[in-house]
Amino acid sequence: MDKVHISRKIWIRLAVIVAILLVAVLMFLIGKQHTILLDNKTLEFGGETYKAFSIVEVQVDKEEQLELAARDRDKAVVTGQRHSITVLYMDANYEEIEKTWKFSVPLGEDMLLLSVPALVGGAEPAIWLTHYEPPVAAAAPVSEEVVVTEDAALLGDF
Amino acid sequence: MSPLKETNWQKVLHFLENNTVPVLFLVICAIGIPLSGYSASYLAQEVVVRISRNAFLIIALLIPIMAGMGLNFGMTLGAMAGQIGLILISDWGIVGIPGMVLAMIISTPISMLLGWGCGKLLNMAKGREMVTSYIIAFFMNGVYQLVVLYIMGTKFLPIRSSSLVLPRGYGIRNTVNLIGIRKSLDNLLAVKVFGISLPLATFAVIALLCIFVVWFRRTKLGQDMLAVGQDMEVARDAGIRVEHTRIVSIVISTVLAGYGMVIYLSNIGTLNTYNSHSQIGMFSVAALLVGGASVSKANIGNVFLGVTLFHLMFIVSPMAGKNLIGQAQLGEYFRVFVSYGVITMSLVLYEVRKRREKSRVGRELAAGQTAEEA
Repeated sequence: MDKVHISRKIWIRLAVIVAILLVAVLMFLIGKQHTILLDNKTLEFGGETYKAFSIVEVQVDKEEQLELAARDRDKAVVTGQRHSITVLYMDANYEEIEKTWKFSVPLGEDMLLLSVPALVGGAEPAIWLTHYEPPVAAAAPVSEEVVVTEDAALLGDF
Repeated sequence: MSPLKETNWQKVLHFLENNTVPVLFLVICAIGIPLSGYSASYLAQEVVVRISRNAFLIIALLIPIMAGMGLNFGMTLGAMAGQIGLILISDWGIVGIPGMVLAMIISTPISMLLGWGCGKLLNMAKGREMVTSYIIAFFMNGVYQLVVLYIMGTKFLPIRSSSLVLPRGYGIRNTVNLIGIRKSLDNLLAVKVFGISLPLATFAVIALLCIFVVWFRRTKLGQDMLAVGQDMEVARDAGIRVEHTRIVSIVISTVLAGYGMVIYLSNIGTLNTYNSHSQIGMFSVAALLVGGASVSKANIGNVFLGVTLFHLMFIVSPMAGKNLIGQAQLGEYFRVFVSYGVITMSLVLYEVRKRREKSRVGRELAAGQTAEEA
């Protein structure tokens, strides 16, 4: 059987296509935006209770530092998968403690809930970083949006 | 002294004749600027923004002109491809420069396919490329609407984001918010000079494209395109694959138009799903012609002169209209009819000039023959 000959030109073209696809994947990975909800509420999980802080300061990456009172929730919008979180809180002896953790966000997740008390309390990542589905409020039926195209506008005059 | 040697007055007339459109625009701007009352710094800032927004799109028109295919109104196809890329990255939540790059990568195969089809059709309509590409753009606009309005959001092309999908459950909304990529490139490296913000990163991308165009002219393919643009039959006799070369020129132009549209819309920050692309070909062509280009000849200088003059007119005319007769709407009408008018005038002037050139060459030949006989 004759060997299929692939010319150098085709190899170069294939290499270029593969390189472009790799760049596309890289762009997807580094450009994907995630919303992290920073939650300072008491969490009970597997018999453990992670108590909310009366006041805590949280900073994700180099974003703005957020101050959360007990039962507060705020959000940080981040890009990419690997991030760091810095938490500044007071322990039982009223000493200020600052700790930093590194964590990864799953690629497919748009919105995640990060429990600050569970994070500081030393829980597993699967407990303090969980998928979050925004609640869908019962709303009145939405009226259909009229699509405006120039062709349609012209036909209206015809 | 040759009897056909031009006097100074004839030289001035000849210059005005060759640069009618830019001179006319200079006059319009010279009248409009004082009437508008805008400060020099405001105008300079606006012109800088418009150059960074539009120059890439206009440069995309240069390569088909090299290949003798005239003004590529089919660049709209590339713009549609760019918009599809932007819709997809908005749905996937890809932001910033990576989002722009990904949108460009997505647009590339679509632009190539559309450009190839357009090039094939234009080869069947030699000599009528401009009107054909104009109508192809209308035709493909229908196909684009079919895809975006009826296929996107269905199981064939899923769109998850409810902010993109129409309330009925499929089709894309009239406007797509591009906040994730808005001014990403412009703000990447912006410096202030005399109070005017210069988006250096965008200018660097435009400069790279200019270098590409200059380099491309010197390549074998670029020389082939110039030869095809001069005379197709002579090029064919010289062994150049004329049809293939013409298709490649349209493909390159369409792909660049797709990239240009991503840059353009990232600067604006909002995508009008069904309208953003429709006028882009017309205004890009008009800007290039205002810069002194013609159907058969255009260079990078024409792009920058054109975008400056054309957009200066765009900026000043509403306020000039308002200050002159108290109605900004007049200025709006003015800039639209001037856009169409300049294209008409350029096309007519091109034909007139071609005929005059022909008759001038004829006269020179006749004079030479008479001199020889004498």
